[in-house]
Amino acid sequence: MKHYDVIVVGAGPAGLGAAIEAGRQGAKVLLLDENDRPGGQLFKQIHKFFGSREHYAGTRGFAIGRQLLQEAEEAGVEIHLGRRVWGIFPDGSVTAANDTESVRYQGSYLILATGASENALAFPGCTLPGVMTAGAAQTFANVHHVLPGQNIVMVGSGNVGLIVTYQLLQAGANVKAILEAAPKLSGYAVHAGKVRRAGVPVLLSHTVTRAMGDGSLEAVEIAQVDEHFAPIPGTEQVIPCDTLCLAVGLTPRVELADVSGCDLVWSGPLGGKLPRHNRHMESSRSNILVAGDLAGIEEASTALDEGRLAGTRAAYRLGLLDVGTYEGRRAEIQGRLDRLRQGPFGEKRRRAKEEVWKA
Amino acid sequence: MRRILIDCKEHIPCNPCQFACPTHAIVVGEDITELPHADSEKCVGCGACVAACPGQACFLIDPDFSESEATIDFPYEYLPLPPVGLEVEARNNLGETLCTGRVVKVLSLTAYDHTNLVRMAVPKDLVQQVRGMKPWRG
Amino acid sequence: MKQERDIVCRCEEVTREEIMEAIRLGDDSLDAIKKRTRAGMGFCQGRTCKRLIAQILSAYYHLPVDQFLPGSIRLPIMPIRLSLLAETVDGAVESEEGGEVHAPDSH
Repeated sequence: MKHYDVIVVGAGPAGLGAAIEAGRQGAKVLLLDENDRPGGQLFKQIHKFFGSREHYAGTRGFAIGRQLLQEAEEAGVEIHLGRRVWGIFPDGSVTAANDTESVRYQGSYLILATGASENALAFPGCTLPGVMTAGAAQTFANVHHVLPGQNIVMVGSGNVGLIVTYQLLQAGANVKAILEAAPKLSGYAVHAGKVRRAGVPVLLSHTVTRAMGDGSLEAVEIAQVDEHFAPIPGTEQVIPCDTLCLAVGLTPRVELADVSGCDLVWSGPLGGKLPRHNRHMESSRSNILVAGDLAGIEEASTALDEGRLAGTRAAYRLGLLDVGTYEGRRAEIQGRLDRLRQGPFGEKRRRAKEEVWKA
Repeated sequence: MRRILIDCKEHIPCNPCQFACPTHAIVVGEDITELPHADSEKCVGCGACVAACPGQACFLIDPDFSESEATIDFPYEYLPLPPVGLEVEARNNLGETLCTGRVVKVLSLTAYDHTNLVRMAVPKDLVQQVRGMKPWRG
Repeated sequence: MKQERDIVCRCEEVTREEIMEAIRLGDDSLDAIKKRTRAGMGFCQGRTCKRLIAQILSAYYHLPVDQFLPGSIRLPIMPIRLSLLAETVDGAVESEEGGEVHAPDSH
């Protein structure tokens, strides 16, 4: 059987970063992804990214995606798309299927970069057509170039909710309100400024209580919430709309890590249960590394650099790098990650990450 | 004379403004969560930072556009672009309409990477608070 | 406009009331609720509802939500046709000459 030095699962920023670094050091790398095109969520991101110049900051997400694909090609990475990885076995083999075949691959090191899934909310009417996650609305608008609806209500004022709202406005939709259950904005004020300047109100201490419609969404009932996030009776209002988007957080996709025997630990600030790992991105299983949102929900730039750390580590353990070169490279990437985890927003994630390393 | 105004307060890890500026008027430094420091003496009012800032927090202000008006250049990413002369709702960061503004110029340079700069004239006393306009839907 | 039911597991159409009933009957884990109600057994394999059900359990038992997650996960972690499962082939095999052929053998 064809043997790979490194198999990377997930071709988002973390997986691409890992594959590029391992490939550049001469490792034979296979990158698997369930989607028909690589890049994960990057190709849906039409806004300019934060970060430093090394993170391609100021560049739009999809342009960063193109750049990474170019780097992966130059690094000799083999990419198999449309393959859903459905199993990992004790001998290190990985099985992936498309609609017509299921294939087994063998690798010395496995880097899991399976990303995250969007959290849901359950309320009466939440299965009506027109109720969807913010990521689904973003796929409609930015990948398929159709609006999910004309009159939209967004739940969640984190950066995902704010950015997707802005993009839906750019695509010509009318966003009637952003609801935030907490008493304060949860994303960046500069992102909120963009949508507020366009006239979208951010309703703090509010949530959706009901979706209504005959066959598809026609209106949502919202209400103010108390300090325990319970709706306050008598504060209900009805907003006519045809689309309700949920941007209420992300959960690491741990299924593959879990079935391959990686220990999981809980981190609230990082999105939930995630594979325990050290600062080299090594999981509790000796041949399995993890990176990106799977290893804790952060941002695309952090995911990319975590991937680079994991890929570099795998190359080092394969003997493709001497210790001096490896340490230099590792320190450079870790330095960038440390800088991304500073400031009032990054600090929380840095502390949570250190807790995971210690666990 | 147009000069830079940076409205960046959150210590977001970010520094494209520093590298966009051709005259090195903006410094963030090694620690990228530091707030940018702008030297308005070095600023030539080119608008590169206005287009580059991912947070849309850089602006250019000309306090003496006319006897009674000042202008603000702000980033604008909606289509269609507003025509020169259009009267618009001038808004602050909370979305409150402060006054009527007038579009006096629209800049769409390739280097701006699809972010346009709209120059809007407003009464002098409001220019420090205005940050944009209600999007024009054509 | 119709009033809609409060569905927690959309793949298997399990309502909040059905999950509460299962808890009242003694179910204290995602797995127990899954076996009784099928919540989490559908196409998405609990990706949408597991966290919601864990929150319901956490509120009922006054225990941290992480004690109920992630529930048991088994292979295959994604829906796959049984015919493909039975005929998983080895990735490209290198022949003596170094060229690549697809190995037809299954395991």
